[in-house]
Amino acid sequence: MLNKKGAIEMSFGWIFAIIAGIVIIFIAIYVSSKFIKVGQESVSAKTGKEISILLDPLETSFESAQTTSMTIPSETRINNQCEETGTFGRQVISLDQKSFNKWVETEVKVGFNNKYIFSKEEIEGKKFYIFSKPFNFPFKIADLFYLTSEGDSYCFKNAPEEINEELFKLNQSNIFIENCPVSSAKVCFGNNNCEIEVNYAQGYVEKGEERMYFSGTGEDSTALMYAAIFSDKNVYECQVKRLMMRLEELSLLYKDKEIIIEEKGCETDLREDLSTLSEIILGGSETLVGLKTIVDGIDEKNNLRRCPLW
Amino acid sequence: MVKNKSTRDSSCLSLPLTPRNRSTPDFACLSLPILPRNRSGQMKIQQMIFMIIAVVLLFILVGLFFLSITLNELKKSSSELGEKSSMLLVSKLANSPEFSCGNAFGTSKINCIDFDKLMALKKISEEYSDFWGVAKIEIRKVYPENDLVCTDSNYPDCGIVKILDKDVNILPYSSNFVSLCRKEAIETEIYNKCELARLMIASQDKT
Repeated sequence: MLNKKGAIEMSFGWIFAIIAGIVIIFIAIYVSSKFIKVGQESVSAKTGKEISILLDPLETSFESAQTTSMTIPSETRINNQCEETGTFGRQVISLDQKSFNKWVETEVKVGFNNKYIFSKEEIEGKKFYIFSKPFNFPFKIADLFYLTSEGDSYCFKNAPEEINEELFKLNQSNIFIENCPVSSAKVCFGNNNCEIEVNYAQGYVEKGEERMYFSGTGEDSTALMYAAIFSDKNVYECQVKRLMMRLEELSLLYKDKEIIIEEKGCETDLREDLSTLSEIILGGSETLVGLKTIVDGIDEKNNLRRCPLW
Repeated sequence: MVKNKSTRDSSCLSLPLTPRNRSTPDFACLSLPILPRNRSGQMKIQQMIFMIIAVVLLFILVGLFFLSITLNELKKSSSELGEKSSMLLVSKLANSPEFSCGNAFGTSKINCIDFDKLMALKKISEEYSDFWGVAKIEIRKVYPENDLVCTDSNYPDCGIVKILDKDVNILPYSSNFVSLCRKEAIETEIYNKCELARLMIASQDKT
């Protein structure tokens, strides 16, 4: 092996075998890492789709609020993204899972047009809670889903009686109305120095310097209030815009329905109001407050009709 | 590894067995130090290349085998999720704002579809083509049975309303019984008429 000068001499065969071996090992490592990545992406796509399926039974009919929990085997980060494109916008979720104590980001995104999930932009944990409430403005527009992690607890202070009652009935273990844990985020109604402050009378929620407005009609007018409490401003504003997109389409639908039932002798007094609703251009959630008066008027008109539209 | 230069190449060892003309020089043995060593090296490289190709092919085959298993499982779970999705959706779709009766027929009713609203929805169904993530949505009157597909001209004397009818391969239908209500009039009197119907949904088969 050693020649006279002391250098290592290797035959071509050996050099060739070593190079070929290294290449094969690298290819094997590359292919197996790709396989693992594809496996992780398919798991996250499957879980994302399962989350959307899980939301279907939570759609409300008679109930005012429903809750469920979901446990994922490994530590998961749910990325809640909202897109305003298309007729209805799009709810997109992607899941990152922890592998060897490191977050592995996946490129697979699961999207659906008929769901509205309110949460922080990134939620981490193994166990997640989802509760839903219908949003009426003036007719039912959609069911809103509030997604929180077991690790994020909320403490409601000085909330009106009906809200305390509702939260008590929900029996969700990360929402407290008394005996709050120290680490929980304080949600205060009328108090200062809390992480989340709710001005119930004027219809807004403040988080630091960010303000999100809420509104609603009917018995469940608090749907957007919970949405503002549990979500980040970006998610909230985008989802409100998506809700208004659906409001526009539903207004057109009710307008057409009015034409159909007109032939049967029903009233035709809501056509113009519905046209106004179908042309709403929502700047931000603050426009909801101004819209409330118009929407309440339309709701009252509908309730007085011989043939109510909704 | 260092070869003894004095040892003869194997090709020349067989020399005595083949009688040769003494006058003609043996070119193979003349080039003894160079050519035979090259040939054995070439053989080894060829063996190595064949071996590498074989190993790579083996890896590719094993990879393809696993890939086909994984893809099959993915397709299977995609179909299962599609079926599960339409099964759960069908039980709740009747209560969604586009279909539900709301309070239009007196008190709020569960699993009640507003026939008048359905006909209005049919007109703008293109806007909703990707909204529910399913390929087909159909409502069929069960009683009284009627096989006429509803249009503006034959409404309400018809029995089938097709809201979504995409031309794709579909998974089996999931269905749910619903009440199909509409406003009817006898002279000036308006009343609510409800009939039994089946709401049917099918997802696209992506396999």
